[in-house]
Amino acid sequence: MSAPNLAVDFAGIRLKNPLVAASGTFGYGVEYEGILDLSKLGGLVSKGLYMTPRDGNPTPRLAETPSGLLNAIGLQGVGVRAFARDVLPRLARHDTAVFVNVCGDSVEEYAEVAAVLEDAPGVAGLEVNISCPNVKKGGLAFGNDPAMTHAVVAAVRKATKRPLIPKLSPNVSDIATFARACADAGADGLSCVNTLLGMAIDVESRRPKLAFGTGGLSGPAIRPVAVRMTWQVARAVKLPIFGIGGISSAADALEFLIAGATAVQIGTANFVDPGVYDRILAGLGDYLVRHGLGDVREVVGTLQMPERA
Amino acid sequence: MPTNRDVLLVRRESLGGPYFVLTFGHPEVAREGRAGQFVMIKAGLSAEPPLRRPFSILAVDLERERFSLFVKAIGPGTRALCALEPGEPAQCLGPLGRPFTAPADDEEPLLVAGGYGIAPFLLMSRELRARGATARVFYGGRTAAELQLREPFAEAGVPLELATDDGSLGFHGRVTGALEAHLDRGGDGRRPRLYACGPDPMLHAVSRLAQRRGLRAEVSLDPWMGCGVGTCLGCVVKIQAPEQERWKYRCACTEGPVFDASHVLWPGEERSAAAGGGR
Repeated sequence: MSAPNLAVDFAGIRLKNPLVAASGTFGYGVEYEGILDLSKLGGLVSKGLYMTPRDGNPTPRLAETPSGLLNAIGLQGVGVRAFARDVLPRLARHDTAVFVNVCGDSVEEYAEVAAVLEDAPGVAGLEVNISCPNVKKGGLAFGNDPAMTHAVVAAVRKATKRPLIPKLSPNVSDIATFARACADAGADGLSCVNTLLGMAIDVESRRPKLAFGTGGLSGPAIRPVAVRMTWQVARAVKLPIFGIGGISSAADALEFLIAGATAVQIGTANFVDPGVYDRILAGLGDYLVRHGLGDVREVVGTLQMPERA
Repeated sequence: MPTNRDVLLVRRESLGGPYFVLTFGHPEVAREGRAGQFVMIKAGLSAEPPLRRPFSILAVDLERERFSLFVKAIGPGTRALCALEPGEPAQCLGPLGRPFTAPADDEEPLLVAGGYGIAPFLLMSRELRARGATARVFYGGRTAAELQLREPFAEAGVPLELATDDGSLGFHGRVTGALEAHLDRGGDGRRPRLYACGPDPMLHAVSRLAQRRGLRAEVSLDPWMGCGVGTCLGCVVKIQAPEQERWKYRCACTEGPVFDASHVLWPGEERSAAAGGGR
């Protein structure tokens, strides 16, 4: 038997495998040149980009929590023009799909960032960041109001012909509502989910461990929440889904695929082990062979849900 | 180029209390590692603790393709590392970061360490010796029990100038006091060049001392670090070079951990362009 097929189609974009590096955990991709072979990745998503460079939040910005990482980086970044000029040509040397994470302080800024990227070569798709919990304006404010979510996605839709993938916030009571709002506004896919809003306190000083006060929780700690939300979103809309949340093994990735994700994004695990892609790809192949499957797409959305009493 | 590998512990040496010297096989770190550079390392793939930890490279053994770390077992990550038995694996990425820069021939290299911050200076002493220079190492801590890395320096034939806050060993006072005493005696006659590694307040004190005396100084910073390669942006520090109008956040992992002391904006210290960057 030949090796199982791992390639997937995500909103019209061919990914050589279903593993994509998540925004904010992989820099602009080029930082990993020389450390790992970027061509092994199905794709990568850039750090969030605004029109102009940003300093981000004061330090400390990171705190370890049980099986998790709390961060409040605050979208420090070089700005979309510098990214398009300096980074995209370098990424073009690697055979991987490049997604750009688009941010804005206003609806207009999201559309403006998308417009800058419209003519830039080497962009496979845009991920719309409506769910960053670590900025005062924009970010989550757009992601926890369905009408605002619709407005942002519709505005970016007008500014780009590229595949459009809003990144959903888990910090909402009914994520399906937001998935439908994105679909109605013209989204081509969904990223599910961003970090969970959290807080950690230093009991000696009685101060938050992060200078920003609150932060976004990621890592294995959030995986069950993210799997549940991926399952809910997959039932609510027909769009392809990136499952995201604490994936660091093939079994973790398979949970999301079985729940209905077409592909997954690897986040915090990039910090823990840059070799994580090799391990997950090997594990996925083993799983497919063991289950007599020739194609990873045969796993997607195959959850056997028991009848509930 | 940093290389990510599974590495095996080849030797674990207890230095008493929570202090260990751990030696791992890693050809690239052994070959390319320079004083001031570090590795990100974690024992096993468990979810606890989530992240790798950064450690200065203590020593390299080119022939046997090994490197050593000075580790103080104080939290879950360091305790798991120090619990490894020889032959057990860890995951390691390195060498990372920018090393200390070499002194000029007319400069007297003065290496100033606070406690745990001694780690990069064994390798630095050896690098200096390879260039025909002799390092003078100031090693301070609160008590004698904090100065646990004396033996490897003795074995390497590098003399230490010790200082303890409680006077239990060496100079009675801060390590910067021992350094100042040496400077006041005129040093060895050459222009002093300071290299410092240790807790932030000590590094800040060395920076002020360097500024006051008009000396060049490099400090190795140790902020909380997530990835070691400049992507998580967790370890940023405020840096302002003289030609910059305003500070910028720089990654300690890729643009440091060694910085020119005069470029570091210490907590609570903001600086105008006019006042900034004096050496």
